[in-house]
Amino acid sequence: MSRWIRLFLLVLTGLTACDFVGTWPQASAAADLEAVRDRGELVWGADQEGGGPHVFPDPDNPVMLRGFEVDLAAMLAEELGVLARFQQGQWDRLPLLLGRSTDCILNGIELTAQRNRDYRCSRPYYAYALQLLARRDSPLAAFEQLLTTAPRGRWQVGVLTGSAAEIFMRSRHDLAVDVIGYDGTIDSMEQLKTGVLDAAVMDDCIFTFYADRFAELRAVGRPFAGGFYTILTAHNTPQLAVAIDAGLGRMIADGRLQTLYDRWDMAGRQQILMLRDAAEIPASKPQSIWALCRETVPLLLESAAMTLFLSCISFPLAILVGLSVAIGRLHGPVSLRPLLVGYVELVRGTPLMLQLYAIFFLLPQIGLALPAIVAAILGLALNYSAYESEIYRAGLKAVSLGQFEAALSLGMTKWQALRYVLVPQAVRIVMPAVTNDFIAMFKDTSVCSVITVIELTKRYSVLALSTGRIMELALATAILYGAMSWPLSLLSHWFEHRLARSASAR
Amino acid sequence: MNGSRAVITVEALSKSRTGVPVLANICLTVAEGSVTVVVGSSGSGKSTLLRCLNGLETFDFGAVAIAGHRLSAGPHAPQLLEHVRRDVGMLFQQFNLFPHLSVIENVVLAPRVVLRLTAEESRARGLALLDRVGLRAFAEARPATLSGGQQQRVAIARALAIQPRVVLFDEPTSALDPAMSADVLDVIVDLAGSGQTMVVVTHDHDFARKAAAWVVQIDAGKIVRQGLVDEIFQPT
Ligand SMILES: Nc1ncnc2c1ncn2[C@@H]1O[C@H](COP(=O)(O)OP(=O)(O)O)[C@@H](O)[C@H]1O
Ligand SMILES: [Mg+2]
Repeated sequence: MSRWIRLFLLVLTGLTACDFVGTWPQASAAADLEAVRDRGELVWGADQEGGGPHVFPDPDNPVMLRGFEVDLAAMLAEELGVLARFQQGQWDRLPLLLGRSTDCILNGIELTAQRNRDYRCSRPYYAYALQLLARRDSPLAAFEQLLTTAPRGRWQVGVLTGSAAEIFMRSRHDLAVDVIGYDGTIDSMEQLKTGVLDAAVMDDCIFTFYADRFAELRAVGRPFAGGFYTILTAHNTPQLAVAIDAGLGRMIADGRLQTLYDRWDMAGRQQILMLRDAAEIPASKPQSIWALCRETVPLLLESAAMTLFLSCISFPLAILVGLSVAIGRLHGPVSLRPLLVGYVELVRGTPLMLQLYAIFFLLPQIGLALPAIVAAILGLALNYSAYESEIYRAGLKAVSLGQFEAALSLGMTKWQALRYVLVPQAVRIVMPAVTNDFIAMFKDTSVCSVITVIELTKRYSVLALSTGRIMELALATAILYGAMSWPLSLLSHWFEHRLARSASAR
Repeated sequence: MNGSRAVITVEALSKSRTGVPVLANICLTVAEGSVTVVVGSSGSGKSTLLRCLNGLETFDFGAVAIAGHRLSAGPHAPQLLEHVRRDVGMLFQQFNLFPHLSVIENVVLAPRVVLRLTAEESRARGLALLDRVGLRAFAEARPATLSGGQQQRVAIARALAIQPRVVLFDEPTSALDPAMSADVLDVIVDLAGSGQTMVVVTHDHDFARKAAAWVVQIDAGKIVRQGLVDEIFQPT
């Protein structure tokens, strides 16, 4: 009885905690200017996976970081009379570092009304524009073509999750596009190159930086819609924010910022002209709880349905493959058995995330481009098939040899004996373990967000960031997970009970 | 053996396990419609002999001709085994009913999947057999709810459902208490009366007498004596 209650609580607490733990390395509270000076360090948060020209590992010495924002951070720290220290974080969750371990976020963060509400946004330090990209062989020649469907259906367009490009593309309901969010800009260029995507939208400076590496890609038309990059600080460090603004102002006035942009081939003069005239962006108003519900609940439900869909399709597949592998290992041709052992050990020995990456990002390199959903289902099914095969192997071995011999003595073939006598009994024996695994898979679907699938956890993370309502949404998400896995726990419990009863009856 | 046709002929069969002889130079003939009772102390090789007859185990030397099939030393081809087992039924000390199926499902499974009879045909046959072992009322019950004696009678009905030419019984009553044993043995005696060829491993002298059996005594893997029941079991 207390088992599934405990499980439920575990899901609840685990969920609220796990999503952000990754981005909170150690909670050395950030402090205002005074404390930064005492410490002698300005801790700035960025994502080195985000890539150039912002922040990226030096190709010659990957321990070192390079990029115009690395230089900018150093310059800014110098202005404050301290040293700059880098703090790594996942790009779309960087703002969550504020107030924990990090003084400011400096990583091509676009100035939006919503960010202006939730954080202190510095004066603009760079003017970006959005650029549409396609392969050189693509028929896409102008942005307006996105208004009508592509030859093979809706245009598949990649964007960086949480970026202005994503916000812009998702707001254009008039376009015949499916917007697919990636955790890194380079990922979307890779997928565009291999033909998984039809197009990508990103900040122009990023494409300019990578244009040589992705020679197969070209800019489609002129950059459109644009805005400014800003440095984020927390609301409770106003003096730091003022000092940063003042520092930026001096760097713009005395030409140091222009030199910096020229060093990174980012059209310095043009930048400075735009920054000088940068418009104020008003902060958006905090939402009422009703508005929040109206906006987020349908999306959360839709993503919960995706979570259910992924597990309900993948798990039966996993069972099918797992059972076949188990039967093959126990009763199949002897020459096949080492192969099956190898399969199980390989799949069990590597993380699900790596397998999903391999299926989604590596298979296209050999010409097998799978849609994200298909890749997710395949990855989950393969991963769990290894575990299920071990469970079924144990289950089959638990059926007595006498049952097998009795079936054979009735003239059945080995396969008939398996089908009618051994497997049905093994299935009953392993039912509790299998149901438990189903609950586990159910939660593992969240890993699929690394290959652009938006399921419940990913949706939560995106919504929490865009609305700033981290706690309320965590609770709603936990309740949704609980509501979905609770019946499964009850089912598992019931199977266990039934098994125990039939075992004692025998 | 009254000159009737042999259904089983065992020719100089020998078998050892990990170098230890289990059966040595067994020669045996079982006539059509006869009952052969195999006796011997525990570990003497009775089960092994029976299991060699329907191919659950292989042997090293000799040959077995059974129900028109021929098993040679060494591994057997799977197809040959399926043919042999269609004509040779086997009952075990531990019944081995399929616990996930009802009584009638246990009985009709082989007619359905091995003989490919229709559902109606196999059900009619199954119910008739349950009638014969006195358990028709339990057709829909689960095996686990039956007594040991009832379970063994269901197992007999199940074995008979594919109409084998020979039925092998390996100590069918040694897991049962005397009252239940009697019920089971009555069924087997009744079967013998109807002319079913059988080889029965059992220590029950009464049964041997009632079935007018040919008795074969095994000791340490060798046949040490065989003859009519009254010659072997002399009242002492
Ligand atoms: N599966 C087995 N593995 C190894 N030895 C066995 C096995 N089954 C039986 N034996 C050995 O073979 C011999 C004959 O056994 P068995 O035919 O079962 O005798 P019985 O049925 O007359 O009691 C015994 O010595 C027994 O220990
Ligand atoms: Mg025995």
